[in-house]
Amino acid sequence: MAKVKMKKIEVVTVLEESKKVFDFLQVQGVVELFNSEEKPGLSPLTTAQTALQVDKYLDTCLTALSIIDRYAPEKKPITASLRGLPEISMSEYLEKSEKIDKTLSYCYDICSCEKTVSDTKVSVARLEAARKLIEPWIDLDVPMRYKGTDTTAAFIGTLPADYTKQTLETALSPLIGEDVGVECEIISNSRDRSCIFALCAKDNSEEVFSALRTLGFAYPSDATKHPPRVRFDRIGAQISSEEEKFQKAKDKIIALAEKRDEIRFACDCFKIRRDKYAQLENVCVSDFVMVMGGYVPEQKAEDLIKKLENRFTVAVTLTNPDETDSVPVLFENKPFVAAVEPITEMYAMPSKQDIDPNPVMSVFYYLLFGIMLSDAGYGLLMAIGCGIAKFKFKVTGKLKKTVDMYFWCGIATVFWGALFGSWFGDIVPRVAQQFFGVADIGVRINTALGFELFHGVADNPGSIAIWFEPVNNPTKLLLYSFLFGIIHLFAGVILGMVKMIKQKNIIGALCDGIPVMLLVVGIAPLGANIIGGEGTVDASISGVMIWVALAGAVLIVLTAGRDSKNIIGKLGIGLYGLYNAASGWMGDILSYSRLLALGLCTGVIATVVNTLGTIPDSKAAKLGLLVPVFIFGHIVNMAINLIGTYVHTNRLQYVEFFAKFYEGGGRSFTPLKTDTKYIKIMEDK
Amino acid sequence: MGVMFAILGGVLAAAMGGVGSAIGVGRVGRAAAGVVTEDPSKFGKVLILQILPGTQGLYGFLIAFLLMNNLKLGSAEALNLTNGQGLQYFAACMPMAIGGLVSALMQASAAVAGVGIVAKRPEESGKAIIFAAMVETYAVLALLISILAMMNITSTIA
Repeated sequence: MAKVKMKKIEVVTVLEESKKVFDFLQVQGVVELFNSEEKPGLSPLTTAQTALQVDKYLDTCLTALSIIDRYAPEKKPITASLRGLPEISMSEYLEKSEKIDKTLSYCYDICSCEKTVSDTKVSVARLEAARKLIEPWIDLDVPMRYKGTDTTAAFIGTLPADYTKQTLETALSPLIGEDVGVECEIISNSRDRSCIFALCAKDNSEEVFSALRTLGFAYPSDATKHPPRVRFDRIGAQISSEEEKFQKAKDKIIALAEKRDEIRFACDCFKIRRDKYAQLENVCVSDFVMVMGGYVPEQKAEDLIKKLENRFTVAVTLTNPDETDSVPVLFENKPFVAAVEPITEMYAMPSKQDIDPNPVMSVFYYLLFGIMLSDAGYGLLMAIGCGIAKFKFKVTGKLKKTVDMYFWCGIATVFWGALFGSWFGDIVPRVAQQFFGVADIGVRINTALGFELFHGVADNPGSIAIWFEPVNNPTKLLLYSFLFGIIHLFAGVILGMVKMIKQKNIIGALCDGIPVMLLVVGIAPLGANIIGGEGTVDASISGVMIWVALAGAVLIVLTAGRDSKNIIGKLGIGLYGLYNAASGWMGDILSYSRLLALGLCTGVIATVVNTLGTIPDSKAAKLGLLVPVFIFGHIVNMAINLIGTYVHTNRLQYVEFFAKFYEGGGRSFTPLKTDTKYIKIMEDK
Repeated sequence: MGVMFAILGGVLAAAMGGVGSAIGVGRVGRAAAGVVTEDPSKFGKVLILQILPGTQGLYGFLIAFLLMNNLKLGSAEALNLTNGQGLQYFAACMPMAIGGLVSALMQASAAVAGVGIVAKRPEESGKAIIFAAMVETYAVLALLISILAMMNITSTIA
């Protein structure tokens, strides 16, 4: 129920069996290897090259997988990601991994087909552009380079304007002599360009040419040797051959998509091998034996040793880690507590001195989350959604922890929401009033029940709040927020004391913990009276409490400077300690006002949504508007407030709670294991 | 006239909070979009950062709404305020208006820097969120003072 105790394990095995032993350790996944010391006769393995090579194979498989996903997307239900991975036995895994080279060749095929596909796409585009250039000339039945016969001169080219045969001849006639005959033909014309063929007697060629030049005549840049139709057809044939290649490559990829599962297996297989070769760097070998050292959780050690000794020729030694070893940290908690482990991990893993904060934190996490989200309807949705994922689909791993966490947060939200009478805002009293004309639903239910279930009716007869409604009484919730904050902070201080006692620092635990708690307990009633008005706390109590606070303050002054050598230092540090305690705790406690602020935020916006939905006068119109506004508005409100609540709950844990006792700086346990994405390898029975 | 002062306060709270949040969310969104072009799988992480400076707009809205509720605007029993009372409401709205605007902008800067963390060291993205969330405290405190002040003013008037 806390941090797992780690042992150091050293396994020595004969070289012949070393591969099997190492594979076995990887499947077990309970040992984190560390760099074995070099000793005479023992030298480390260098496997970085191999790891790199395997990494390349892995990359090829992953690329192939992403290609077939693009060409032949897999149809799978949304819930598929919630189901567990297909299981496969160790012997089956080994058998299948023999055939992995074949799979790898499929992957290379897929990658090269993908390359063909993209290459052909490019060349088709290029060819189509070329074909477009030749298109205007297609009706010309001589080659574009045609210069004329022995007696005639031909001009084939473009003019930068839209001409017909007639307009061209009219344009030419003033530029050439009366007697010069020109035969023009327009091959094609568009708005700003005409492709023309002009023929004249050879003797007049220069005159005609200069006339044409005046009109802006230009020879085509890439004239054909054959009639343009020939080139057009040739390009067309090229395009269709490229397209055929394209289609073939694409079909091949789609056909190979059938091997998807095989490729996925290969991905996992290469990943396992890559991890293995990367970790083999930590191992030392001599001519006959292989030595590996690592950390293993204590409760797993015995079982592991037994299995190793039964199957292989090994010598195993188990020792306790020294003070100087950097021992990795692994949590082990019941699911209720384990759910918040990722939150702690996100802050920092505990150091060697730290105690596991998760058990205490989990309770506060759920409760504080609930107050801030504070709507039973939203909580119910969360709990139901996560409950389905949890019980129906049996999620595993890290996802399971997250689902668990939101499940319990949802339950806590229902609890607080019911206390504050917020079910999708004020939808119950509002519907009762707007549709049925019942303004005092809370009072009526109370009467029907025969006892006062809904105490919120004191402020508002329609309220269904079991405790009270924060909107009607924010000061009350503010004071309670501070109270919850003080309890949370005290829990942190007590954990800090436990930590110090574990380190046999009993004086430190007493001096750092007790006085400050006395001070806070003593001042709290005064603060409550200032915020809530005189009489919030009975005068007889607050009168006594002043003395408690005073005692706390004196104790802080006396003890905070206990490490200082001389009396003036002791007193100075003591006074500084008092100032620090007072200002630090004030800030910490005020920070819990966010419980009220975020709670109000959810509730008020939910109420606005319901108000908007019930604006019209007629009941039918109200209903018609309420349904879409209700669904859309509450989804948006829930999403925004979920994120806000998550962030602020984390902050209260990290900044206020952890600051009281938690150091962090540990390293999480990362065993050599089969870190697979598509399959789950099971040990042989 | 008094009512007008009060409403002006509510309008400023909603508007300044909204302006701050709009600028802030926009700024972080731009940075976030840059990260997503490189690595679409980081969408979820940067989205949380983007939403963080958006809460000030909500808080401002909340104050404006509570003010309308307190004044019973639009109903038969709407409060009739003196100039002094109106100015009291106006003052009560100011912490949220000013605090909301400035904290949204500052939170956006922290969140933009946090987007950088997500881009380079995605495993530390939780810390990026906390850095940005630290700024939020002051928006929450401003919200709280505005709410409490408004409640107290209403209770003395009624």
